[in-house]
Amino acid sequence: MEKIHSDTERDDYKPLKKFVASPARPPKRETHGVIGTIRKRFFNSIGNSLLTCIALAVLFYLGKWIVNWAVIDAVFVADTRRQCFDTSPDGACWAGVISWFNGLIYGRFPVQEQWRVNLGVVIGIVWLLPLLSKRIPLRGAILLSWVALFPFVGAYLFLGGRFGQELGLFHGIMTCAAFGYLLLIYLNLIKALIGSKTIAVAGLHLLFVPFLEKRLSRRVVAISSMLVWGGLSAIAALFLSSFDLPLVPIERWGGLFLTFIIAGFSITMAIPVGVILALGRRSKLRVIHWLSLGVIEIVRSVPLITVLFMAVTLLPIFMPSDVEFNKLSQVLVAVCIFAGAYMAENIRGGLQAIPKGQFEAATTLGFGYWQTMFLIVLPQALRMMIPNIMTSFISLLKDTTLVSIIGLFDIMLMARNIANDKDWVGMHTEPLVLIAILFFVLCFSMSQYSLNLEKRIKVDR
Amino acid sequence: MKNAKSLFVLASSLFSAASFAADTPSTLDEVQSRGYMNCVIGNSFPGFYSLNKEGEWQGMDIDMCRGVSAAVFGDVNKVKFLPVQWAQSFTSIKSGKGDMLSKGMTWTLSRDTQQGLDFLDTYFYDGQGFMVRKDLGVSSVYELEGATVCVLTGTSSELNIADFSRANNLDLKTVVFDDSSVRNTAFFNDNCDALTNDKSGLAAQRSGAQNPDDYIVLPETISKEALSFAVKQNDSEWSNVVKWTFAAMVAAEEYGITSENVEEMRAQSNSPIVRRLLGVEGDLNKGLGLPKDWAYQVIKQVGNYGEVYERNVGENSILGLKREGTLNALWKEGGMMYAKSYR
Repeated sequence: MEKIHSDTERDDYKPLKKFVASPARPPKRETHGVIGTIRKRFFNSIGNSLLTCIALAVLFYLGKWIVNWAVIDAVFVADTRRQCFDTSPDGACWAGVISWFNGLIYGRFPVQEQWRVNLGVVIGIVWLLPLLSKRIPLRGAILLSWVALFPFVGAYLFLGGRFGQELGLFHGIMTCAAFGYLLLIYLNLIKALIGSKTIAVAGLHLLFVPFLEKRLSRRVVAISSMLVWGGLSAIAALFLSSFDLPLVPIERWGGLFLTFIIAGFSITMAIPVGVILALGRRSKLRVIHWLSLGVIEIVRSVPLITVLFMAVTLLPIFMPSDVEFNKLSQVLVAVCIFAGAYMAENIRGGLQAIPKGQFEAATTLGFGYWQTMFLIVLPQALRMMIPNIMTSFISLLKDTTLVSIIGLFDIMLMARNIANDKDWVGMHTEPLVLIAILFFVLCFSMSQYSLNLEKRIKVDR
Repeated sequence: MKNAKSLFVLASSLFSAASFAADTPSTLDEVQSRGYMNCVIGNSFPGFYSLNKEGEWQGMDIDMCRGVSAAVFGDVNKVKFLPVQWAQSFTSIKSGKGDMLSKGMTWTLSRDTQQGLDFLDTYFYDGQGFMVRKDLGVSSVYELEGATVCVLTGTSSELNIADFSRANNLDLKTVVFDDSSVRNTAFFNDNCDALTNDKSGLAAQRSGAQNPDDYIVLPETISKEALSFAVKQNDSEWSNVVKWTFAAMVAAEEYGITSENVEEMRAQSNSPIVRRLLGVEGDLNKGLGLPKDWAYQVIKQVGNYGEVYERNVGENSILGLKREGTLNALWKEGGMMYAKSYR
């Protein structure tokens, strides 16, 4: 710079004017701002203006009609459908849905026992609550414990019965262990909140870890924490044995509660079943490959309703008459296999997207088949498959309403029964509208959760 | 645990499957040793079986099963209701999963002879009818020439209407539906001229209309629908129990015994028939293999036929059916309800 300057120094040298960018002119008035945008996007030609007007008119009348029907003209307090008609002939009769609301939610569950369903749901949520905080380590262990142990708590609360009699010994022990584990999680949380900085929750070895790990070997830690768990379970057992929950047979389960049970169970089981089938299909062992392929292809080529009918009508014919399978467990098995077959193909898609280098790198590091799969390949594959997996879950949740066709009293069948109630005879529309809203809320929040999950995982990367 | 147990039972029963057919015990013994009976019903049929909002079953078919439970156990609640699809009704009885079938099923020759069932008695006489809008100006089915008729597909109604149309040259056009609620909505929205169903159901559907007075049920009945209960074929012991339980309800009405005065009648009545029926004297229970007070329990806990009728399908029920002058009245009043002799 210096050098150039000295070479080119002349008399007529004038320093260049410093370039100052003139401020950007505002865009044309008609293309920005609220009015501009509207004009540009909706009224930019005569044809489009016309279309906009028509669409607005349609929306307006549709909206007005819906609001009138569902809110303004609707009847919320009435004893019978006839009273609804007398008060307002053109509005919705929500009074009927309100009076049947418990039926829609709990099905045929006895009224005085319905608190047990609520309690079960609350326990399930409380158990999962620690997952919301990122500061809590070993969240996977909490989730795993929920999957493995919560079903026992649920079954105990929903089914009832006394230990050792209606309730099997194994089931009783598992229930107590589950309650003990839940106590363990929360004792840890409380301890962490009042005491040490590091929050140590879940896992088996946690309660005593901060005190013992330096002095004692891991084995001793494990054993002592098992003892603590056992002690807590024994306390839970003492507590539980003082209650006497009346038996509520499975036939009486129903409503949204049953929908949740079927959907929850099959969603939980779909991934493991899917992983097994997907790995089986990619296996080099001929027998396993063909078996998995057969299951996947056969199940995927028939509709769910056929699988359900097979499970409920054909199975009992092959069985001797004194074997009693309840309909729910037949349905659960059928739905699990069905969901698993679809999930298997989702997961296989994810597996195929993993570059070969990952496998080779794992082999180079001396990883075996299972280590490669569970530590390297599947975590990446499942992460990529989140949108697909969630789509399957959502469609599974909606598919569960098919069980009403084979006579399980889920929310759909309960809704249909409203129209056969003496007081609400012929009322079909309102319950179905309610169910539609309910399912929209459920499915939409599931898809929002999956979006959220995707974002979170990307950030972590 | 439960699964493991049922697997074990499955395995052991497969072993015994060979000897299974050789010696089938009577359903009555099975029911008594099991401690409850299984009653096959359907999903929902207003007036006959439907759920109330507490989730309890109610209806005429329900009361028939409860009656048998009262007769066998002295307790109306020792019965489990199995709601099954139409196609499963027969297999569930044949396989022994259900002990009694009471789901508003019409007694027909083919069902009686080809499905492994024995129909026992008819508790409700029904028949197919038509409902039309009043402003159509029609007062008889025979004026419906060329009309479109809403009907549920796969039912006997659909077959009956085809027969009827052909036999009378009416050229009826059927519009078929899978679901009764869709069918009703279609009819009330004027998508067809007439709606056909069993007459008992028509009354209920009419009451579900916004303005029931705009519709009339035509007087003609074009088919016979004798709603009857059935049990597994060739099990006389069990058939007797079911058959005579129902007969006890009809007889009770005939002799003026109701659930309210049954106590009094048992203590005070001089009529030998009433005393025999209520188990005060005689040993009518012996041949049935039931406790002495079986009929008393049925009447006390379920009621006589008239009470069952009024509660479930009578004028103040969902169906709002008048009983007088129909086939469902007692034989003394010109109906078909006739209990055989209690001797």
